[in-house]
Amino acid sequence: MSSTSLPPGLAVAEPMPDILPDRRPRRGVLGFLRRHPTILIGGTLLGIMVLIAIFAPYLWTRDPTALAPALRTRDPGPEFWFGTDMLGRDVYSRVIYGARVSLIVGFSVALLASVIGLAIGLVSGFIRLADAIIMRIMDGMMSIPPILLAIALMALTRGSVRNVIIAITIAEIPRVSRLVRGVVLSLREQPYVEAAIAAGTRTPAIMIKHILPNTLAPLTVQATYICAAAMITEAILSFIGAGTPPIIPSWGNIMAEGRALWQVKPYIVFFPAVFLSVTVLAVNLLGDGLRDAIDPRLAKRL
Amino acid sequence: MWAYIVRRILATIPVMAVVALFVFSLLYIAPGDPAAVIAGDQASPEDVERIRASLGLDRPYLVRFGEWVWRILHGDLGTSIFTNLPVATMIAQRIEPTLSLMTVTILFAVSVAVPLGVVAAWKQGTIIDRLVMAFAVLGFSVPVFVVGYLLAYSFALELDWLPVQGYTPFSHGFWPWLENLILPALALGTVYIALIARITRASMLEVLNQDYIRTARAKGAGQGSILFLHALKNAAVPIATVVGIGIALLIGGAVVTESVFAIPGLGRLTVDAILRRDYPVIQGVVLLFSFVYVLVNLAIDLLYTLFDPRIRY
Repeated sequence: MSSTSLPPGLAVAEPMPDILPDRRPRRGVLGFLRRHPTILIGGTLLGIMVLIAIFAPYLWTRDPTALAPALRTRDPGPEFWFGTDMLGRDVYSRVIYGARVSLIVGFSVALLASVIGLAIGLVSGFIRLADAIIMRIMDGMMSIPPILLAIALMALTRGSVRNVIIAITIAEIPRVSRLVRGVVLSLREQPYVEAAIAAGTRTPAIMIKHILPNTLAPLTVQATYICAAAMITEAILSFIGAGTPPIIPSWGNIMAEGRALWQVKPYIVFFPAVFLSVTVLAVNLLGDGLRDAIDPRLAKRL
Repeated sequence: MWAYIVRRILATIPVMAVVALFVFSLLYIAPGDPAAVIAGDQASPEDVERIRASLGLDRPYLVRFGEWVWRILHGDLGTSIFTNLPVATMIAQRIEPTLSLMTVTILFAVSVAVPLGVVAAWKQGTIIDRLVMAFAVLGFSVPVFVVGYLLAYSFALELDWLPVQGYTPFSHGFWPWLENLILPALALGTVYIALIARITRASMLEVLNQDYIRTARAKGAGQGSILFLHALKNAAVPIATVVGIGIALLIGGAVVTESVFAIPGLGRLTVDAILRRDYPVIQGVVLLFSFVYVLVNLAIDLLYTLFDPRIRY
């Protein structure tokens, strides 16, 4: 211990013995996933679903729309893994292809609603006059239960995946806008934004360079929840006949077709139900994990 | 306080006006030609024109909106394209089952979810807490119709404890009425329970750390009285707010639940209207549900300004 620079009478303490094991958090992607197992589980399940959707034609499926009246309502077995429906279509193939609609709708709505909601939220968080008008409209829209709003929109258009996406997006926008606006309003009071204003930075530059990046974290979490909600809404719309047209297999559709027979042939409803629930669970787990990772303070409370 | 209450009541007027404007404007927002869509693929041009006229799409937007609002203020929600009956009459015929389902669900869900959340907060970090939280995530993920079919399959078809489907009016007796509503209420309540249990836990955790809880403990109050009398009272405002907001989930879920359990309520009316492309009926139901939603939330807000002396605006 060389303590030459210290005044006399003072000595540097001996280093503490290593009583505690070295528990530095692991770095890198693997360490992150270890600390947030829900992200790992949710991400893996969702990844599997995405692969299923992409490679549907190669997963020992048949034509999901091919009718075979002679093979109606076969029970699940070696030939038809999930059985056949009342028109003789292979339920396994329909469920596998159904992943496509669910994921496309979920991801598209999450992306569209986030982008549009972000734009609306930024504008209304920054421009007082616009805020008053926009937030009155959003309050009104939020008072209409989202599923009913989507139903009303779908009743006015022809059933198609594109229209389902538009309808659910419109129903989800108010919530995103509110979230972004809230974040913007709190960020505006931050010293660094005041500094930027004082330095004469123009409003658009402040919005894009200084505010936008800080809204992305909460927005990402919100987007995963929107994705989950959109998948459920799509299934509900298709289930009640206001969603994806019957020609395109979707989980909601398959359940709707199995509805008439569910007391005798419950598997037609069961298989799409399991796939839908697992996928939505995966997205929700991912969202919870991201929320905990981004905001540990919130994680302890919720 | 009275000034606040009056202001709060007045503040709902613009919200309802925007709801009305928005619901009305859907006809114009929707891509494509709604008249042609509603008329169907086999319709002749004359049919499309007739429907266009009956929807008022052939007249100026603002004029039409004025007339529409005027009629709604007089209780006229329009006329069904399919049955030619007034929409208000059709809604009145179907309102009892939906109202029953919602009431039973709310009562059941709140009485299950609040204790669950309280216990989870009390036992924070233990296996009980984890189980409640796991249930909450599952409740958010499994769609209402999946829960519905699962329940109907196990408790009605396999075990034969409860009726599979249908509805018995309240006037036929309390038990027959309730018996038919238990499974639908369980199915519909799942998401709602998940939501309320989660917020109850979060709100309780915040309160349980406060000094007055330690004081209560020090003076020897029992655990039950600390949790449910001292803490829950102060944790109640966010819980009540979520109970109100969550009604939006219930309304959407009721449409599906009624289809699964063949309950002849407003949800069934909506689904039938979709299949018949009977837009005025859908418009009427959406408007009614939205107004009810706004008013219920207004009532909850007002209730806690009355009961919570800390709130002064």
